[in-house]
Amino acid sequence: MKCLLVEDDQALARELSQALREGDWLVEHAATGQDADFLVRTEAYDTLILDIGLPDGDGTRWLSAWREGGIDLPVLILTARERWADKAAGFTAGADDYVTKPFEPAEVLFRLRALVRRSHGHAHPVLKVGELSLDTHTQHVTLAGRPVGLTAQETRLLGYLMHAAPRVVSRTELSEHVYDRDHEPDSNVIDVQVSRLRRKLGSWRIATQRGQGYRLLAEEPATE
Amino acid sequence: MSRNRTEWQDRWVRRWAKRSISARLLLAVLLMVGLALPIAGTLLAHHYRASATQAFDERLAATLNVIIAGVTYDRLEQQLLHDRALGDPRFENVYSGWYWQITDGEENTLASRSLWDQRLPVIENDSLSARSIPGPRGQSLRVVERDVYLAPLEAPLHISVAARDDALARDIREFQRLLWGGLVGLGVLLLGVLALQVRWGLAPLRRMHANLQEVEQGRAEQLDTRLPDELATLAASMNAVLARDQRLIERGRHAAGNLAHALKTPLSVMRLQLRQLPEANRASWEVELARVDSAVRHHLARASAAGEGVRFAPIDLHATLAPLLNGLARLAQRRGIELRQTWAGDVKVHMDGQDIQELVGNLMDNALRWAHSDVQLQVASDGQQLSLTISDDGPGMTDAECQQAVQRGKRLDEQRSGSGLGLAIVTDLVALYSGHMRLGRASTGGLKVVVELPVVARNRRA
Repeated sequence: MKCLLVEDDQALARELSQALREGDWLVEHAATGQDADFLVRTEAYDTLILDIGLPDGDGTRWLSAWREGGIDLPVLILTARERWADKAAGFTAGADDYVTKPFEPAEVLFRLRALVRRSHGHAHPVLKVGELSLDTHTQHVTLAGRPVGLTAQETRLLGYLMHAAPRVVSRTELSEHVYDRDHEPDSNVIDVQVSRLRRKLGSWRIATQRGQGYRLLAEEPATE
Repeated sequence: MSRNRTEWQDRWVRRWAKRSISARLLLAVLLMVGLALPIAGTLLAHHYRASATQAFDERLAATLNVIIAGVTYDRLEQQLLHDRALGDPRFENVYSGWYWQITDGEENTLASRSLWDQRLPVIENDSLSARSIPGPRGQSLRVVERDVYLAPLEAPLHISVAARDDALARDIREFQRLLWGGLVGLGVLLLGVLALQVRWGLAPLRRMHANLQEVEQGRAEQLDTRLPDELATLAASMNAVLARDQRLIERGRHAAGNLAHALKTPLSVMRLQLRQLPEANRASWEVELARVDSAVRHHLARASAAGEGVRFAPIDLHATLAPLLNGLARLAQRRGIELRQTWAGDVKVHMDGQDIQELVGNLMDNALRWAHSDVQLQVASDGQQLSLTISDDGPGMTDAECQQAVQRGKRLDEQRSGSGLGLAIVTDLVALYSGHMRLGRASTGGLKVVVELPVVARNRRA
């Protein structure tokens, strides 16, 4: 999952990015509203963390502008203010959740996962596709109750497919959401990782829709 | 001894300083009416009596001179003669009250016919003198007399003129009746004027008092300075104090906000850096950082709460909470929680807008954190008490936990930060507005918080 962190304080941005990466997130950072504005309009993110106090204008103003521009990715606001009037202004501008500084990294991760899950229409923290299940908080994958050993990259890839299921996910979408912008893979790398997943989970679970992308299946299709 | 006296004086001064202005004015007029008027009356009455008597005496003295001029001594007959008719019938009618008498103190005596067989008592007196004596038939007489030497007589002649002084006495009584009547009238008039003075003269003061009460209740922002000069300056000074008060509150809140902003980011960085510490150190650092954080939040929240002490203009509760509740409804929706609101009509409250937003915001936030799928807000008013009930269907709290949470705002779950402190801020706000807060079990299984605040504005139409 990919997240854009909009935070002007360098020390906080560094530490929070680090904490998010440890929580298995891909993080990109923007220090100003201007930079963030460019990134949200050109890149694909799963969620956005927005500090309300930015050097070039109030975070809520940028957020309103994005919402008006049809950008509907889930937004978590970071606020140093205790005033409920300010927090409420953030929600009205279109924030989906908030954490108050100083926050615990665990809380930010908790809120982010919940936001992404809900944005895909899942209420429960454990995602299930057939016998396959993913605990979004612990990132544990089980198949028919038995744990499956996956690498971090494989977990990210499967996680994205599980959030999206039963939708078809294109290779471009996968490369945007599952890989760092600086290391975007060619489609060959994705194919290789998908085939590794197929080996570990059973090849029928990840179907290839020709010309469209990949799709997770809940049940083994009847062989014709 | 002297110490006793100063104590007594102090007490007297203190008691006097507390007397109302009306009482002071009343006392001044009572002094005037009770002392000055009787003294003036007595002096006037005395003076009138003296001058009336003198005028009467002068008339008698004039008559006396006429009589003296008419007295002759007949050497042949060796007797006194009175040849000049006075031309006044009152000296002819018997016991008319007007008499004259000429006597040498022995056998020779002449008297007016009116005196008949009576004689006036005689005292020896060279010069003119006047006195009051009893006369015939119980009459009260004023007599003017003097001794005159008439050649060839060797002994002086005592010549007296007397007249009843009833008329004089009546005159004086009449004057006194008029005088005292007039003075009583004047006293009544003065008291009436005092009443007017108190009503009309002190009216601006009463108006200012009413105005001040309006400011206190938040119905007016400032005192009206359209007052008499003496009070206008006072009102202007009070307005300056009120404005400064408001500025201080604003500045305090502003400073609190800035401080919060300045501290929060470094605290966040420090907390994030804790991950890199060895496990053993981390726990104690976490505790210390949490303490710093809660101290900052607690005191900033307190500093920026307006609370009691100032009366606030009534605000519409629904309009004040609407932006907050709209935001929270969006948050609830994202978290998959149904947020239900029950409002018992429009409620106006004497509260600071930010304070009530903090109170409801913290309680709702807490409920939304713990709820599985349902949060309820009920707003009711019995005309005095505002009653807010917020319940969720989360895990709830045990009685002991409820007690602890209210008393110390203790954070009960370190995983979900802020909940404990939110309650502590609410507890402070509730105390500031002299309200009550109860925690209990909701019918939906979770926590139920009931807050009652005596802040409902009286409906003026009722």
